[in-house]
Formats: sequence, structure tokens, C-alpha cells
Amino acid sequence: MIKYIKKSRYPIFRYFMLGIWTLIAGFPIFWIVATSFKPAHQWTSWPVVYVSQEPTLENYREVWGIGEKTVKEATQIYDKAKDARPESVSMNKAWKAFGNSLLIALISTSLTVAFGTIIAYGVSRFQILSEVRMFQLLMLRMIPPIVVAAPLTLYYTTLNLMDSVTGLVLIYFITTLPYAVWMTKSFIDEVPREIEQAAELLGATRWRTIVEVVFPLVRSGVVATFMFILILTWSEYLMSFILSKVDVVTLPVQLSKYEGSTEGRMYGTQSALAVGITFPLMLIGIFIRKHLVRGFTFGMVKR
Amino acid sequence: MAQSVPSQTNDLEKMSSRSSGIRIFKWTLLSPLICLALFLLPVFILQLYFAFHSWTIYLSSWSAAEYVGIELFQEALQDKRFFWAVARSLLFASLSTIGCFVFGLILALLMYRPFRGHGFFYIVFILPMLTVPIVIAYTCDMLLYRAGPINGFLSTIFGTEMRFTWLSNPDFAIFTVVMLEIWNWTPFTFIILIAGLSSIPKEPLEAARILGANRLKIFMEIQLPLLRPVIFLALILRFLEAMAEFPKTWGLLQGGPGSATETIPIYLYLITWQFFDISKAAATSYVVMLIMIFVILFAIRILRKEKQSMDTLYSVRSSGS
Repeated sequence: MIKYIKKSRYPIFRYFMLGIWTLIAGFPIFWIVATSFKPAHQWTSWPVVYVSQEPTLENYREVWGIGEKTVKEATQIYDKAKDARPESVSMNKAWKAFGNSLLIALISTSLTVAFGTIIAYGVSRFQILSEVRMFQLLMLRMIPPIVVAAPLTLYYTTLNLMDSVTGLVLIYFITTLPYAVWMTKSFIDEVPREIEQAAELLGATRWRTIVEVVFPLVRSGVVATFMFILILTWSEYLMSFILSKVDVVTLPVQLSKYEGSTEGRMYGTQSALAVGITFPLMLIGIFIRKHLVRGFTFGMVKR
Repeated sequence: MAQSVPSQTNDLEKMSSRSSGIRIFKWTLLSPLICLALFLLPVFILQLYFAFHSWTIYLSSWSAAEYVGIELFQEALQDKRFFWAVARSLLFASLSTIGCFVFGLILALLMYRPFRGHGFFYIVFILPMLTVPIVIAYTCDMLLYRAGPINGFLSTIFGTEMRFTWLSNPDFAIFTVVMLEIWNWTPFTFIILIAGLSSIPKEPLEAARILGANRLKIFMEIQLPLLRPVIFLALILRFLEAMAEFPKTWGLLQGGPGSATETIPIYLYLITWQFFDISKAAATSYVVMLIMIFVILFAIRILRKEKQSMDTLYSVRSSGS
């Protein structure tokens, strides 16, 4: 390796190319963060202000109530906002949307991963679904969800599930289940069968084998799946855009509500909210970066 | 089972009770899937009903819709706007897939061997994929605004005032959306290809180098063929996801200017929620579903074949090391 570096200019070329792509990949993200600290007159100024000389927390104060107020006061605001109506201030709405997003994402992700793991175990050990069926499951997921959006809305209206946490949880549960099954299956496939057979010989029931023998072995995989599904659910836009109106607005939908009626979008406030949506996700994603490829390719590519 | 001797009745009984136990267990594991399918079934029945009965939101109840046969399907297929939406979607999906693939491959080739700063670059490069799509749409609006930072940056580089209209130029808007998609999903192809490249066994590469092959030859004749299943997988998944792309195109331009960025999902959204033509939307949805199912069936044929060779690659690797 060292010999290679000494005799060629390739490393310099590599760092140059990677540097360019770092700029391309990082600039929009840098821009969100930079704009969120800009005072209103610099949002769309020309010549362009890259980093504000007079940074302000005004945007964060307006969206999240952070800045002057302590966390405790913000929590109190959130408590009040639980039964807030649309006419209340934007700060309440952001926290309310955050609460909704978190609640929906956590419940539906837990459901998905729990059922996904069980089904994946069945597929891996008992072939409850043949490979063809598994691919058909995948196929269903790959049809654009918009094609069922209209009848789904009417169906939800009939069931009184519109604009409710249950409704969104159900739909996210269904749409992310194939990902979870495929991903956890790839982890379970790696556990040697002999261990289970040994447990069975020692007299453990099947459920006990799953819970006490298999699950601990694939725990890190299940955690990775959980986080991966959490990413998918947290950033989902279409379904929550269509199926929620007032009460159960999630964060991605809330983002589109910061539009001034006359002066176009409120870039600063929007950025402050965008930072709040994106950064938790990025942290989770970086944490499970080794397993991301498995999730996105339905467990077909491992690293 | 077939070779069991009749005298061992005791064992046979045990076995049959065991296999029925397994059957019950299998159905227990399957039951949640069946429940979900039953839950979703009415949606498709409703869709079918609306596709054959003309109903709009202005009519009072569903039963007020009149049966029109396949008229709605004819209407959907003859709609010029739908045709262009399909064409645009195909253009969008293929261009963005190719773009993602090219950039992802270049980055993966630059990075698949360890070097100083590998971890840092890897993290930075996967960030776009971890950004919420709708956030990307609004950020892009900020960046590509006529007096926005991208134009500002270009002005600084070229020394003249550049006011390029990225978004409001109907001829160019679709390419802006393609660029957005490429920015967002290059990490996807990148992580797939880098995983594929680093799982290729080193011995043939070493052998080729010793025999005097240059880098291009090694890439074309060893790495690329071994990478084929992974490449197919990346292209197929990316293409299918791009066909379904909604939040970025909607958040950025809402199908505009005019209908320059109106892809299939946006077209369906507009006829449902702007013209409230539920029936036409249902018929069109079935056409779209049919198209997508054909595409996906084709994709699955390829994927299943490639998955076998991919599994072989991995098993060779794990038994070798």
C-alpha cells in the first residue's frame, strides 16, 4: 500500500474528486443549517450571504421555542399544545407535529419490526412463504403508493380513521413490513440452525426457542432494522400528506405550512424546522451505516 | 416419510402430530399477513368499483354513480396528458437511474480500498440519502432561486452575473428534478456498489496485476462481470423507486411550470385532489398498476437470477476466508 502511494499521484487525484463530491453532497445540508441562523433580511439577499455575520436564534425561537425559553418551559408549551387548534402559534404546531411524528414512527416501527421478525423467522426456518411469494411481497411494495391513495382516503373516511394516529400507524405498518421481513430474514439466515435444534432437543418450546435463543443472536440486526424502518417512517410524506388534515400533522407535512401568503416561503423558519426533522435521522443513519445497504436492498447485499 | 415401516406406528403418530404442530405454527406466523391483506382488500374493491362507475366527489353517495363499463379506461388511455406523464416518468426514472449509477460507480471505485479519511468521506457521502425528501425539495427551492446561492456561486466563478432559471424554465425544469433525484440517491448506488466491490475476492485481481493487466482491463474483465448482479440490483431498485417518486417533485414544483414536471404520481394526485375525478383516477391507477406490474415482473425475473449468482459470490467468499 505504502509503495503504491509513493509511486503514483493517484491519492491526490482521489482526494480532489472526493473533495468535489463532498462539496456537492454537503452544500445543501450546510445551506439549511446556515439559513436557519440568518435574520429575515438575509434569507434571499443578493449578493448571497453564505454565513451570516449576525447569527440569530430567532428562527429556532419561532419554530421550536428554543433560545430564551428553557427546556422545561418548552415542555409546558408542548403539553398545552396537545389540544391546540390550528389557530394557535406556529411554535406549538411544530412541537405538536414532532410529538405526532415520534408517536406514529415509534408505534408503527415497533409493530413492523415485531411482526416482521416473526414472519422472517417463519420464512427462514419453515418456508411459510416460498421465495416466489417473498418476491411478490416485494413487488406489491414497489407499486407506487399513489395508485391506491384515492380509494384509501374514502375507505379511511368510512372507517373513521382519517386524521388519526391509528390510521397512519396502520398504513406505515403495511408499507414498511416488506422491508422489515426481508432485512431481518437476512440476519436470521446467518444464525446456524444447529443452535435451535439443540434448544429443541433440550426441551424448549418453539416460541421459547425464538425468544430466548434466536432473538438474542440477531438482536443487533433487529435493532438495525428498527432504526432503518424508523428512518423510512419518519421521512414518509405522501401518506401523511393525504391522510391527515388538522389533528395528526406529521413533521414533513408541517414543513410545507411555513409559506407566507405574500412574500413566498419563509426560508429561515422552514430551515429551522428542517434541521429539527433531518438531524435526528442523520444521527440514526450514521449509527447504522453498516446495515443501511442491507435495508435498502432488501437484505440482498450484505457488507 | 414414505419409507417408514408400518410396524413403527408409534413413531408415525409422533411424526404426524409433529407435522401438524408445524402446520399450526406456520399459520400462526402467517396470520398477521393475512389480516393485513384482508384489511387492504376493500381498498382494491373500491378502486375497481370506481373504475367502472362514473363518480365524482360532487355526487352525494357512492351508489349514485352510474355504471359506464370500460369507458373510463378508454378515456384514461386517450388522455394526452396521461401519455405525457408516462413519458416524463420514464425519462425521469431512466435519467436519474443512469446518473445515480455513474456517480455512484465513480465514487465506489475511488473508495473501495481503505485509505486515510475513508470513514469521514463515507459518512459525508451517505448524508443526502438520510435527508428527508420533502426537506430536500424545499432546500432545493432555496438553493436554485433566481437570486439564490447556486446562481451566486456560479456568478463568482464566472465573474458575470448569472441568473439561470433552474425552476421556471419549462424546458429545463424536469432536468432540475432529475438532478435533485441524483443528488438524493447517488449514496444508494454508492453503498451498494462499494459493498459489492469490496466483496470481490482479491486473488484474481492480484493474479491479473501480476500477469500485467492494466487497471482498465482489470475493471472491465474482472470487476465488472463479478459486480453484475449488484449493478442490476441497484439499477432496478432505483428505477422502480424513481417511478414512484412523489415528495421531491411535488414539494419543489407541484408538476409545474405548466405541466413540465408532471410525472405519473403527480398526474394521479392532480386528477384526484384537484379535479376530484375519482373515477378517472381509479381507471388510470389500474392502467399504471398494470404497467408497473409488468415492469416489476420483468425486474423480478432478473433479480431472482442475479440473486443466485450473488449468493454464490458471498458463499465463496465466506468459505474462503
